[in-house]
Amino acid sequence: MCPHCGTLAWGAVDLSGRGTVYSFAVLHHPQNPQFDYPVIAALVELDEGIRLVTNLVELLPDEVEIGLPVEVCFEPTADGMAVPVFRPRVLERRQ
Amino acid sequence: MSRPSFAGSTAIIGIGQTEFSKDAARSELQLACESITAALADAGLQPSDVDGLVSYTIDPVEETELVRSVGFPQINYSSRVPYGGGGAMGVLLHAASAVASGAAEVVVAYRAIRARSGATRFGGAKTTPSPTSGHSGTTAMQWCMPFGVLTPAAWMALNSTRYMHTFGVSSEDFGRAVVQLRAYASTNPAAWGFDRPITLDDHQASRWIAQPCIRMFDCCQETDGSVAVVVASGELARDTAQPPVLIAAAGGAGLFEQEIASDHYRPDLSVMEGSVALAKLLFGRFGIDRGDIDAAMIYDAFSPILLMQLEGLGFCERGEAKHFIADGNLGLDGALPCNTNGGLIGEGYIHGLNLVLEAVRQLRGTAVNQVVDPDAVLVSASRTGAILTRP
Repeated sequence: MCPHCGTLAWGAVDLSGRGTVYSFAVLHHPQNPQFDYPVIAALVELDEGIRLVTNLVELLPDEVEIGLPVEVCFEPTADGMAVPVFRPRVLERRQ
Repeated sequence: MSRPSFAGSTAIIGIGQTEFSKDAARSELQLACESITAALADAGLQPSDVDGLVSYTIDPVEETELVRSVGFPQINYSSRVPYGGGGAMGVLLHAASAVASGAAEVVVAYRAIRARSGATRFGGAKTTPSPTSGHSGTTAMQWCMPFGVLTPAAWMALNSTRYMHTFGVSSEDFGRAVVQLRAYASTNPAAWGFDRPITLDDHQASRWIAQPCIRMFDCCQETDGSVAVVVASGELARDTAQPPVLIAAAGGAGLFEQEIASDHYRPDLSVMEGSVALAKLLFGRFGIDRGDIDAAMIYDAFSPILLMQLEGLGFCERGEAKHFIADGNLGLDGALPCNTNGGLIGEGYIHGLNLVLEAVRQLRGTAVNQVVDPDAVLVSASRTGAILTRP
């Protein structure tokens, strides 16, 4: 049930896929064989105000900083699904 | 809100523990039996005196098996506290409420754990919830797992990095707290860290678990062991073997959008909001001032959350914990001697309930690192806490 309005109905909403890094952690240990380490874990705050746990890709661990503008891309999972991960937003991608 | 009836009318009358190790080589059930037997002996009671049991949703010991093994003739009250580690001190609220209401006369609160030698290591990287993570809300946890955010350290790192960013806190700042905890542990024969003090350089040389906030030495010890406390009325306490320790205040503050450490959706993650709410409750409803607290035992699963709780509880301003610690305030001569057993980082991780035992020892005057004549000791684990006092 929606805790804000009490509705039991639900639906999908399109999001911009853009946001900024709210926080992050570069995970070194312990390691699970299903992931490549170090894992760059992040909290991304979407422009719409929603916060997600995710991974950052297409950058080095020491390039991550809070406030970094990012945009969504999708990575396949082991079971054939896909999850939203984020990469740095660059000028040409914004055009 | 009026003062709850258990405040000052209930007491901890017995404490017991097993040894703390990395491989207990026996079941959690057996460990619980041993710590409960020790706690009852400490109180001068028999199993037949007990009619209440309290533990945690994530504790693996079944009440029915415990009754069968210890030989409790009749249990009239039992309950379990949710929220994982954040619920650590909630057992005191449950036990004291049961006693004060008359639902039970003597309640045993227990925790048994094989965090190192068990089937899944407590800090291990697992991709599905386990008894160490389930039962306490896993909705947010499922949004962590696909991204490799699999461990308590990883969950808490996301909050910790934001805390560092907001207040300009460094790994060295966390390290100064750890050095103090390890100094306490180094003189505590029951502690994992007995005779093993560290320097800030040692801390800074320890490897990264979650960069930039949690190094290996910032983590609590995965521990095998069990602890138990016996709670009864203050009246009964006068006739038992040990000097009574009163439960002067106890409370819990589970906020919207919280679960165990895998939740990241409160507005400002640089503030431990559960601690803020808990402090408001403990210092607002029980007639006890923050300045009355002589020592504190604070859930230090990872060192960053110790700083965040010191601020949340109001022992220092937001962002000031690093200075508070650097000035030596957590030491025996400081403003707030803290985790004098070495904490979960130095002594061991028995879900934080071992911090309650240390608070009781302080008030009895039997702690290894004894504070001079304390009258009031606070125990807290983020959203649950209590204030224990001498009569």
